[in-house]
Amino acid sequence: ESADAQKTAFLLRKAWTLYSVTPLYGFRRARLRDYARLLSAFIAAERQRGLAVEVGVELDIKVALSSLADLRGSQLDQAALLVQLSSRSRASSRNSEDKLVWSGWFCSVFGDDLSENVPEHFTCLPLFLTHGAESYTSLVGSWFQKTFDCCFRRLAISPLNLSWMVAMWAGCKLDRPASAVELVFSVPRLSQPLDISYAIHPEDAQALWDTVQKTPGEITQEEVDVFMDCLYAHFHRHFKIHLSAAKLVKVSTAVAAAHCDGIVKIEHSQYLPGVLMLLTELAISQIQ
Amino acid sequence: MDETVAEYIRRTVLKIPRNEIKTILEKWGFLSEAQLQTLNFHQIKDNISQEVVHLCEENSAGIKQAAALDIIYNHIYQNKRMWSVYQMKKSGEEVEYFDITEFKKKFKGRLRSALKNVTITFKEYEDNAIWIRVAWGTPHKKPNQYKPSYVVYHSQTPYVFISASVLKSNLPLLCQALIVASNYHDIREMELRSHSLNSLKDIVFKRYSQNFPTYTRKPPQGGNVEPGNADIRIVQENRSEKERIHRLNQEAFGSGPQPKLEFAQYRLETMFKSDPKMDVLDKKEPFRCLVKFSSPHLLESLKSLAPAGMADAPLSPLLTCIPHKARNYFKIREKKGLLPEGFVSP
Repeated sequence: ESADAQKTAFLLRKAWTLYSVTPLYGFRRARLRDYARLLSAFIAAERQRGLAVEVGVELDIKVALSSLADLRGSQLDQAALLVQLSSRSRASSRNSEDKLVWSGWFCSVFGDDLSENVPEHFTCLPLFLTHGAESYTSLVGSWFQKTFDCCFRRLAISPLNLSWMVAMWAGCKLDRPASAVELVFSVPRLSQPLDISYAIHPEDAQALWDTVQKTPGEITQEEVDVFMDCLYAHFHRHFKIHLSAAKLVKVSTAVAAAHCDGIVKIEHSQYLPGVLMLLTELAISQIQ
Repeated sequence: MDETVAEYIRRTVLKIPRNEIKTILEKWGFLSEAQLQTLNFHQIKDNISQEVVHLCEENSAGIKQAAALDIIYNHIYQNKRMWSVYQMKKSGEEVEYFDITEFKKKFKGRLRSALKNVTITFKEYEDNAIWIRVAWGTPHKKPNQYKPSYVVYHSQTPYVFISASVLKSNLPLLCQALIVASNYHDIREMELRSHSLNSLKDIVFKRYSQNFPTYTRKPPQGGNVEPGNADIRIVQENRSEKERIHRLNQEAFGSGPQPKLEFAQYRLETMFKSDPKMDVLDKKEPFRCLVKFSSPHLLESLKSLAPAGMADAPLSPLLTCIPHKARNYFKIREKKGLLPEGFVSP
């Protein structure tokens, strides 16, 4: 249990930028070390060409690729693939620690919808999550695109999907005290833009969801709509504002937080598979 | 000149945008016209500030002069700070003649009797505002010049605007010194905070155009709600609805420019009420929420919600009451009793 927790600890409490990725052609697990070498050379060459990522300091970028066998939904999923970029200042001694400057990982959690329809030689890892400078993401993405003929796209999260997330996660029972359930709305097209943060005490949000959800383990669109309508109605009663007409841009719960620009932060390992499954689903629907 | 004073002056000058440095130094008046002429304002700020420190050394600048420069900077860039509003209370009705010298003496006296290491600086401005800068030390340490508190007091009013330093423990002492110096007997913090000091003043001094709830004059026939809007798709019903919303907005917000606030926060502890058909939550306890509205200009933003179709007109009094209740932090509880449901804001 704790060994698992250790392996996935790096995922938690970090803001990950999300992408959908089309299947990789000709990817071979056995060649991870080769790939790391090639990616490293590519990055060095691009930086020489003047695509400098860090101005001033002389840095060597080291690339590490590894498989995370446990990070998947079922055996039908490919194991997750982790890419890490570390830097070591040329000026420092040989014993100095490498500093992790960028991480990205590909994964598939219950992504059978995609993988069952895919021809041979293709590897399905539709969800790509990155943390670190955009310039590194660009470099890594370019190399993967060139090498495996795949396509990356930023994964936007619609208000509809955000409301699914907040309803689902608000209902999760946690073994430690929870933080508030927060919905952030934006009303941009006014003379002066307006942001509205609507935060509900986690116990009260959970109590509301418990009375809305009829079948445990199952969530329907209707239930999510009722939950959201309740929140909108309570808000309207006080402020006379139609929150449903505003744009839901961010939701935040003790389980995870998600932003419409495709940024996710997972707080708790307890519901990790569920969160990743939902994100895999979103990635797949963006690809198809 | 003291090393720490030199460094403080250097850092203060660095904060100033390059094209404003000359003006601010002139306002400060510590360097002579001839000295200012020798400064090259077209070099990088690092060099300018070094040269300024050099000149200050020639004039033997001390902490008093450095503090004076800091007050001037903060008066001009007052909107960079967060201001809270405090209201003082008098015990009697006597109108006393305000003596600025007495005020300063009592203020300094009260602070210094409690805390030996403080730097206190005053500056009076034309609008009857007295600016006070206090840098706080401890019995064993010299005052920290980088974390001062600022107080703005208009002597003809019971209001004090405070931008406290992060060292919040000094706030009670500061408040005490204020009431002692101004002959009031009590002071309380209002639930009103903003970066815009002028807007806070507008609100508490009632300097904005207010609404008149009993004002029932109808707008002139065919009154132009949106001048120049000749869209023929707008039929009479839409037009009268638009006019109705406009009129209600005017009644609620007044017709002049709104004071500039950046946020309003509501702690809701009211019951959750739903349509019985929906068969949802029916607890006897409050549905606890925290709602925060933010905008570069909150009141203008709220005013535009109904015309944009985002809100009903009239807008909720919870929002429209912000300027005349002079608060932007609220705690809302359910009103008990036989009256139709309403909200109580303590």
